[in-house]
Amino acid sequence: MEPEGIALPMTAYPRENSGDMAAFERIMSQSERRVFRVALRLLNNPQDAQDAAQEVFLRLYKHLPSLDETRGYEPWLYRVTVNVCRDIARGRRHSLGLAEVPEPPTPQPDAYHDAERAQQREIVRRGLSRLGGKERAALVLRDVEGLSTREVAGILGSSENTVRSQISTARLKLRDFTGRLLRRRS
Amino acid sequence: MSCSKFETDIALYAGGDLPPARIARVEAHLADCADCQALAEDLRAEQALLGELRDGPLEDALLAQVRQRVLVEVRRADFSPRGALAPLLAIAAALLLAVVLLWPRHNPPKPVLALSGAAPRAAAASHAAPTAAPLIRKSHHHLRRPPAAQPSPPLLVQFVTDDPNIVVYWLIDQKPQGD
Repeated sequence: MEPEGIALPMTAYPRENSGDMAAFERIMSQSERRVFRVALRLLNNPQDAQDAAQEVFLRLYKHLPSLDETRGYEPWLYRVTVNVCRDIARGRRHSLGLAEVPEPPTPQPDAYHDAERAQQREIVRRGLSRLGGKERAALVLRDVEGLSTREVAGILGSSENTVRSQISTARLKLRDFTGRLLRRRS
Repeated sequence: MSCSKFETDIALYAGGDLPPARIARVEAHLADCADCQALAEDLRAEQALLGELRDGPLEDALLAQVRQRVLVEVRRADFSPRGALAPLLAIAAALLLAVVLLWPRHNPPKPVLALSGAAPRAAAASHAAPTAAPLIRKSHHHLRRPPAAQPSPPLLVQFVTDDPNIVVYWLIDQKPQGD
């Protein structure tokens, strides 16, 4: 299975007329999975993730004429996604308890959905939802999205040292959580 | 040095985020510490699982709903800067029109009566010097209201903006024309 969103490089989209609907729709179709996925990981709720993605793309449309296409839209989209998710989480004051974490989509019969591996992923996903907002954002961008530390720092508006500290702490916390659950199950 | 001092660096090392200057020290510790080796392995396994979260399936229906909601919203209200200015332009146009139409006239056009016969020059003089008393001659003259005293139709000025939906019309009263 080809991972969605991976084909989109961190390069500029071909620029079309500012505000042009066709260009906007194309950018949205290319990045919607990535934006929605990050929002889902940060908010742990599909409806909230939908709201976040909607807000991100409305902002994209509004700011499209003023964006520097030579720098690509992805950093901007990531930054706005993180900010929008932060606002939504603040506004709704989600407690990220296990009961609120939705179950993953119905598994399909392929190697990816090997039962044991799927269970481990689910534990990691739950552990991710237990992290604080900044640590979770840093870890999602670095380890889930695969961005570099520098890119994450740029998106979060932090220094690279701060991001390293956040992802290090987050990895250790996640390891404690997953290790505890996995040991309990085994 | 205790293992806890290395945990932070090991967490970075496992993800390839440790600055080069600290790698050798961590690797030296890992070579001698089975617990920290296990920690590094756990962290690498955890990262692999996190990476798989990126590749997991997303429900297309959820994405389609987002797409539809965005497009409906965008088409319903133009979010472009030009569109955002449209209400302001409309208000500005309305205010401008109101000011033009309602501005008190300090020199309202007075009926100018001209003498028949004497006249073209006198009438012209009256227009040249509007502060002069109106030219009125009594009964022995035939008085008539010259054609120039008829109010001229207002001048219509049309401003066309970038937005085809916004056109500013400016009505300007014209001075009555002399003979």
